[in-house]
Amino acid sequence: MDVFLSHITKRYGRILANDGVTVALKPGRIHGLLGENGAGKSTLMRVLAGHVMCDGGFIEVDGVRHAGLTPGAAMGLGIGILSQDPLDFPPLAAWENFTLGGPPRTRRQARDRLAELSESLGFSLRPDDPVERFTVAERQQLELARLMDADVRLLILDEPTTGISPEQKDILFGILRDFAASQGRIVVLVTHKLPEAEELCHEVLVMRRGRLVGSFEPPYDAGLLLETMFGAEAAKAATEPEITGAAAMAAVPVREASPASRAPVLAELADAAFSDEKSALPPVSLSLRAGEVVGVAGVAGGGQELFLRGLAGLARMRGGRYVFDGTAMPGRGMAAFFTAGVHFLPASRMEEGLFPGLSLADHARLGFPGEGGDIRDLFQRRFVDRFHVPNQPTAPAASLSGGNQQRLLLSLIPDNTRLLVAESPTRGLDVASCAQVWEHLHALAARGTAVVFSSEDLDEILARSGRILVFFNRSLVADTPAAGQTVRGLGRHMTGRAVPSVAESPA
Amino acid sequence: MKNPSPASINILAALGLALAATLAVLFFAGAPPLTTLAVLFGGGLDSTASLLKTFSSFIPLFLCATALLATYAAGLWNIGVEGQITLGAVFAAGFLRLPDPAGFPPALALVLALAAAFAGGALWALVAGVLRVYGRVHEIFSGLGLNFAATGVTLWLILGPWKRAGMASLSGTDPLPEVFRLPGFAGKPASMAGLVLAVAAFALVVWLLRRTAWGLTLAAVRQNRKAARLMGLRPRRRLLEAMALCGGLAGLAGGLLVTGLYHRLIPSISGNFGYTAILAVLMVSLVPGFVPVACFFFAVLLAGAVQLPMALELDSSLSGVIQGVLVLAFLAAGRMGIGGRLGGMLGGMLGGTPPEGAEGGR
Repeated sequence: MDVFLSHITKRYGRILANDGVTVALKPGRIHGLLGENGAGKSTLMRVLAGHVMCDGGFIEVDGVRHAGLTPGAAMGLGIGILSQDPLDFPPLAAWENFTLGGPPRTRRQARDRLAELSESLGFSLRPDDPVERFTVAERQQLELARLMDADVRLLILDEPTTGISPEQKDILFGILRDFAASQGRIVVLVTHKLPEAEELCHEVLVMRRGRLVGSFEPPYDAGLLLETMFGAEAAKAATEPEITGAAAMAAVPVREASPASRAPVLAELADAAFSDEKSALPPVSLSLRAGEVVGVAGVAGGGQELFLRGLAGLARMRGGRYVFDGTAMPGRGMAAFFTAGVHFLPASRMEEGLFPGLSLADHARLGFPGEGGDIRDLFQRRFVDRFHVPNQPTAPAASLSGGNQQRLLLSLIPDNTRLLVAESPTRGLDVASCAQVWEHLHALAARGTAVVFSSEDLDEILARSGRILVFFNRSLVADTPAAGQTVRGLGRHMTGRAVPSVAESPA
Repeated sequence: MKNPSPASINILAALGLALAATLAVLFFAGAPPLTTLAVLFGGGLDSTASLLKTFSSFIPLFLCATALLATYAAGLWNIGVEGQITLGAVFAAGFLRLPDPAGFPPALALVLALAAAFAGGALWALVAGVLRVYGRVHEIFSGLGLNFAATGVTLWLILGPWKRAGMASLSGTDPLPEVFRLPGFAGKPASMAGLVLAVAAFALVVWLLRRTAWGLTLAAVRQNRKAARLMGLRPRRRLLEAMALCGGLAGLAGGLLVTGLYHRLIPSISGNFGYTAILAVLMVSLVPGFVPVACFFFAVLLAGAVQLPMALELDSSLSGVIQGVLVLAFLAAGRMGIGGRLGGMLGGMLGGTPPEGAEGGR
């Protein structure tokens, strides 16, 4: 099978997710597709699998040109995708899931075929159990069996090793090797994890900001891969020798390195184990000081999302201690966190932060209920003059652009906030809006607010924080002062390549 | 010549569609369409007696529709109004059956009975509210279940503990003593007090929703429960408050049915007013100003329906068919963009919020 993606372009509103990407997938090979969050990997694969239509470019399969595919057409051509979240129907039994989308089968036929495939792949799947009782790995295996049954010849796997054990990973990789080796079939592995790509792939393609920026063959230079993934500035930083200690202090402009260490402890986590409906973090212990700016890095699904929510009182605590300003917080509701001065700034601003149909003035009323009738004045003074929210108090929040949504959210952060937890505070913002966000967050920190933020941009984390936490594979793998850290070093932690001796600076 | 505004054209179009659909139904039912319409709409308006009948339906309907404004404001689909009316009626009747009320001045006893009715309805609504907020049971399901449960409770009381002296009867409990009956108009059982209460409740609820911080908070909770949680607006508590207010007012309607209309507890005392109120509120797309009009319209239809068998030998259930067709026609007109003003707001409500569990059971 020969597949050629030519100048694939896909636009979501103002965001160019794929910008003229051209890729050739050759028979018998396992291709790795690497890139940071939002680099456009998944979009490209969804175009290939027919889940989304591209706006420009074409797909050529075995010499036949297609302007775009539908899921059915892609399956007909033998292109199958194993999504990060398996596309199954949790309440249905395994054999029912297995049958869906395939040829009509009786229960007996479906069970026999599933058993046969499981046998040859080395799975043990209970055919009558509902899929909701399966582990992530079993759901993935079932999905894989379904794709094999459909006789796919191009198999796309999107982050397949998230949430499965190393042993299960080895089984999966063995299957993928056999799959690609027979009859000129193709595997595309979308991943964040460098070691996996190195272990498995015949070729590694790197995407960044919607473009294909590099293609590599073994032996891989991990440093070069990281640089290509994380960008030009990263490349520059990475070419410099790793520096630590005093030399780094001199080399990197450090922000608030000193006051944080002397400031009183604001929040203390001791073996705090956060969890939500989908996942759980192992216990985390750390303390936050007033005025500290802490950047949290990690690839999507690395666990930093849940950590931030747990810190803000939005996740359950299975165990451990969380003392905020002398008060034990576990078991308290969101309202108690709010009263204690913890504020959460969500990344999905409209979905989680604002009320689309309510006016800007209504947001001011809700955010500052103590102001009484004088809301116009407050709106003018705080929202418009100070935060540059558009002076349209009656306009609905739904009419705001991304930057203005964030301005509105910034205006709603009380000035006496003690701990601000900000989820990707500059995601999707232009340079001017980013600058305004940081001006305000640093002003808050200067007045003693602890700011904990996440970002997909390592340069931003390095530039803006005094201390950095890195999450990998749902656990905290590094807690280090920002001084002396490089994009390369952080990238290693984020992709599970950290050499222990380089990892931890004494905290 | 002035051009009519687009909004009024839309409303006229919706009305036209509704009328056309109704005529079609009547035609296929084999009824003389125009005469039937004349009886339906005239039957509730043509005499003082029938006007009073209309008002006796209007009062509970208007109270329940008012109650629903509160829950719709919070984005709740409270279809348990029937049960809440019933429990209000049970509480009011129960209070007046206590050995003590005779010791109170009758006026005070009546006020307390209505307060008990409010409490009963509120409690019944809170059951659904708590299930929604803490148990992630959607209020549509619990409301439906609780409606049946409430019917069961009344039947049990009427046939069991509260049965008439000597023999249990499905016609209800023993009538209330005269002193515990709300005064009616000209001897007819349509109480002025009930009308005053309903109007006052309507004014209060509209004021709460439109003019107070609490009302704004409810709107925020409807718009985005996650954001409301992040802003410390306590969305769960707000939902429970809206539920309790709605249930209380529905319960009050039940109390008025006991003290002002039937003067005893009867089976099915809620008389479908709860469901009809949902229709009335939906028909005007939750726009408060139109709610009294819609309620009056439905009250006229209810009164007119009683005339159908006598005047035209048609079954009175035809009136129910016509009510349903009217509401559907209005909704369809709104959804299809014919009735822009009416449809827009409801569109968000009907299309935007599929049944979902209460957010975050943390």
